Amino acid sequence: MTLTFIMLALLFAGALAWFSENRWQGCAKWLALIVLALLATVFTIFVISHDQPFDNLQVLTRVSWIQTFNIEYSIALDQLSIVLITLTWLLAIICVLVSWQEIKQKAGFYYFNLLATIAGIIGVFVAVDMFLFFFFWEVMLLPMTAIIAIWGHEKRHFAALKFFIFTQVSSLFMLVAIIATGYFHLLVTGELSFHYLDWLALDMPLSLTQYLMLGFFIAFAVKLPSVPVHSWLPDAHTQAPTAGSVLLAGVLLKTGAYGLIRFVIFLFPQASMQFAPIAATLAVISIVYGAKMAFAQQDFKRLVAYSSISHMGFVMLALFAFNSIAFQGAIITMIAHGLSSAALFSMAGMIYLRIHSRNLTDMGGFWQSAPRMGGFALAFAGAAFGLPGLANFIGEFFSLVGVFQVMPTFAIIAALGLIGSAIYGMVLFQSSFQGTAKQEILDLSHRELLICSSLFLMLLVIGLYPNLLLNFSFGV
Amino acid sequence: MLTTAHSQASLNIEIISVILPQLIIAFGIALALLLVAWKRSQRTIALFTGAVMLIALVANVSLLTIQPTAVTQLLKVDSYSAFAFSLVLISALVSLHMSHQFLKAHIEVHDEYYLLLMLLVLGAGILVTSNHFASLFLGFELLSISLVGLVGYHRESNFSVESGFKYLILSATASSFMLLGIAFIYSVTGNMSFDANVPNEIYHQQDLRLFFEMGILLFISGIAFKLSIAPFHFWTPDVYQGAPTPVTLLMATISKVAMFVVLVKCVVAQNYLLYDNVQLLLMILAVASMLMGNILALKQQNLKRLIGYSSIAHMGYLLIVVIVLSGESLSFTWQSVLFYLSAYVVANLSIFMVMAAIQSQCSSKVGQLLQYKEELLLSDLRGLFWRIPSHALLVILAVLSLAGIPLTMGFIGKFYILSQATIAHAWWLIVTLVIGSGIGLAYYLPIIFTLFEKEDCTELQANKRPIIEHFLVYSFIIIGLLLGIFPDVVSQFIVSNPM
Repeated sequence: MTLTFIMLALLFAGALAWFSENRWQGCAKWLALIVLALLATVFTIFVISHDQPFDNLQVLTRVSWIQTFNIEYSIALDQLSIVLITLTWLLAIICVLVSWQEIKQKAGFYYFNLLATIAGIIGVFVAVDMFLFFFFWEVMLLPMTAIIAIWGHEKRHFAALKFFIFTQVSSLFMLVAIIATGYFHLLVTGELSFHYLDWLALDMPLSLTQYLMLGFFIAFAVKLPSVPVHSWLPDAHTQAPTAGSVLLAGVLLKTGAYGLIRFVIFLFPQASMQFAPIAATLAVISIVYGAKMAFAQQDFKRLVAYSSISHMGFVMLALFAFNSIAFQGAIITMIAHGLSSAALFSMAGMIYLRIHSRNLTDMGGFWQSAPRMGGFALAFAGAAFGLPGLANFIGEFFSLVGVFQVMPTFAIIAALGLIGSAIYGMVLFQSSFQGTAKQEILDLSHRELLICSSLFLMLLVIGLYPNLLLNFSFGV
Repeated sequence: MLTTAHSQASLNIEIISVILPQLIIAFGIALALLLVAWKRSQRTIALFTGAVMLIALVANVSLLTIQPTAVTQLLKVDSYSAFAFSLVLISALVSLHMSHQFLKAHIEVHDEYYLLLMLLVLGAGILVTSNHFASLFLGFELLSISLVGLVGYHRESNFSVESGFKYLILSATASSFMLLGIAFIYSVTGNMSFDANVPNEIYHQQDLRLFFEMGILLFISGIAFKLSIAPFHFWTPDVYQGAPTPVTLLMATISKVAMFVVLVKCVVAQNYLLYDNVQLLLMILAVASMLMGNILALKQQNLKRLIGYSSIAHMGYLLIVVIVLSGESLSFTWQSVLFYLSAYVVANLSIFMVMAAIQSQCSSKVGQLLQYKEELLLSDLRGLFWRIPSHALLVILAVLSLAGIPLTMGFIGKFYILSQATIAHAWWLIVTLVIGSGIGLAYYLPIIFTLFEKEDCTELQANKRPIIEHFLVYSFIIIGLLLGIFPDVVSQFIVSNPM
């Protein structure tokens, strides 16, 4: 009930922000911020006060929804979804803070879209009826596309269209797989069911599951994104407003990883095992290719976008190693990348606000006028290339150690990606903050300082004390 | 032949009550003729037509749960046909409201327009209940002829005569094809009723089989013309563009619903799908429509043409249900077809309502006469969201529904089709559908993006809009959302009934 209430409250608050902005200018952002903080507190209290442990999926609500297809409104929580929802809350608040000055036009509708996206993302993480999951999966896309298409940069329509078509077409394959599994359940048990737990109990032959798994895998691989279906991401990230990029990189990509864990690996373990060599190859290509492309970019946001492809490659590689250490590594990488890419995109947004350009050739020597900003940029670039002491290092280290036990060749090639990440990290930092000063910029304001320091603090805490996350078993 | 003996009994009360909606419309037409003789007034005839249709709709609601009842050999009323007729009546009512707004611009009194509208509804009413090739052809012609009159109605318009002629000639060709096809089928089976059993021997005799297949091919091509299924779609964009907006709406909704329902009836009753060649033919038609419709729509700037092309694609999607139809799950097939059609109708009604509103707003007054805005381009929607949010919201919902995105009825409709195709393992059709909807997004989304663009023309202000229009817009937003989230509300009406 509480989760349903949270999602509805987000939607309601969004609508309220939309209408009240017309009357009192500038109140939408405060409303969004307060509501997010309040609901995040409600969520935390709910999770802490829940009496059953979340080691396994705890089904919280299960009511009939569409009787024709025996579809239920069913939501559940476990450690994995709790961790990801917590990340969502954190980044949602960051999103509101980074949009504080950037979004001037149609602010009310903007915050409505932002809150609706967050409601959809939370829905994706909690839905256990597959139809409901698909419903949220698509619903979170709509406001996100609107954010890119309305408040984005110059080529926003193209980017939004590309983003939407890639995700929509791939998810239709998932829909077919969902329907096929539902009807296979009908064939075996005599009852149509789209419930995740029913499916877990179902014994499916490998000849069938390999196709079903592929349907799911395509949808999640596009979202992750993995080579060769990654090409929407650089465009979408570059054209989206700062908060859009933060949300895309920070959370939306994680829904792909979440889907891979919950619906590909747990639901079709045998088929995934069989598919692992292909998936791992794709992952390694993503790692190396993403890193290579990143240091060839001239656009600050495009560079970070390609680095995301590289990092998410680590997640996929680790997941398909079927090794508990690698699995832990994948989850830490997910969180760490969520924080570090959000930080870098916020940094890009802050620079854009000052010089109105994302081009690295327009930047340079910012350190002299904005040392605090430079310090944070260095720290975030360090996090991105896996500096020990920050969260990404732990994630990548665990992933590689785990993968090495199973597939040593893949691990060795993937490690090359780390060198690439060091190069693009330094390219990014040097060309923007070092060299001759091209122009003077203002240093961080208090609000921006708050954004950067909170993100940095979280990266540092996870980096120094990873047990915070390692204590959870995440259903393995 | 017990049933024949029974159905030849004179019209008793039960039979009258079953075809009451159609009778009301027919009676209304006669009364309207008298009304014209008594008083020629735009307002009176419009109100009268509306009242007749409302009464018919009310009479029709009670039929939604009826057992299949044969009315003579020609007609058979069941819950499916009643549901389809409700869709027809609802679209006719909305179109009537739009027509009235549109015709007010003229000084002439347009009684004949309303008469043609009612004749069209009657034709659709006969089509959805027909159980015999004769009644099918009767309904088909009634529908076509009144549509021809309506398409060319707006004489002053540039494209009116062109599109009227185009429709007349092609429609006449299609019906003659169909008639020839029916004759071929009759020559082999010796029976024109849908219930007739086609003896299996036909299929083993080479010459008869050829005749029979030829007949089916001609028959289906006649229907495919009406449904604008590729490759019989060439008239669609031109006629959609040239016809007055309310008439385009009629073509997009009533004509499609009635023809599709009769196609399903025919295919179900006659088991045409037992013949491999027919199945192959339908498959080719479906694949061609899905791809052609979507690809041709890509670069369209004219809204009506765009909707025309998208309708080609939608009929292609819907044909999948017919292709994978199987005897066991007949009620599920009907449910899929009717749900998809209602989603399609609701989406079209929504879009056309907003289009008509924009057209009437953009029309300029030249002297005494209102200069009606004919061309409706995509760019006319620019910035609508910031000017009249309720209308824009309706368009967004409708476009998302056509694109099949969750939250809308269109998604549930697509879910039905995908379920059917998955059960039948029709993987190639599914792949085509996925590709088709992927291409479709490339023209649906720009419509939405246009709505959000910055307004640059201030000529269209949100001046006072009639209350009834607001009421319609809001109710369609609510209907679209509600039925998209709780599709059971509709599905429970499409009940299965024992055959």
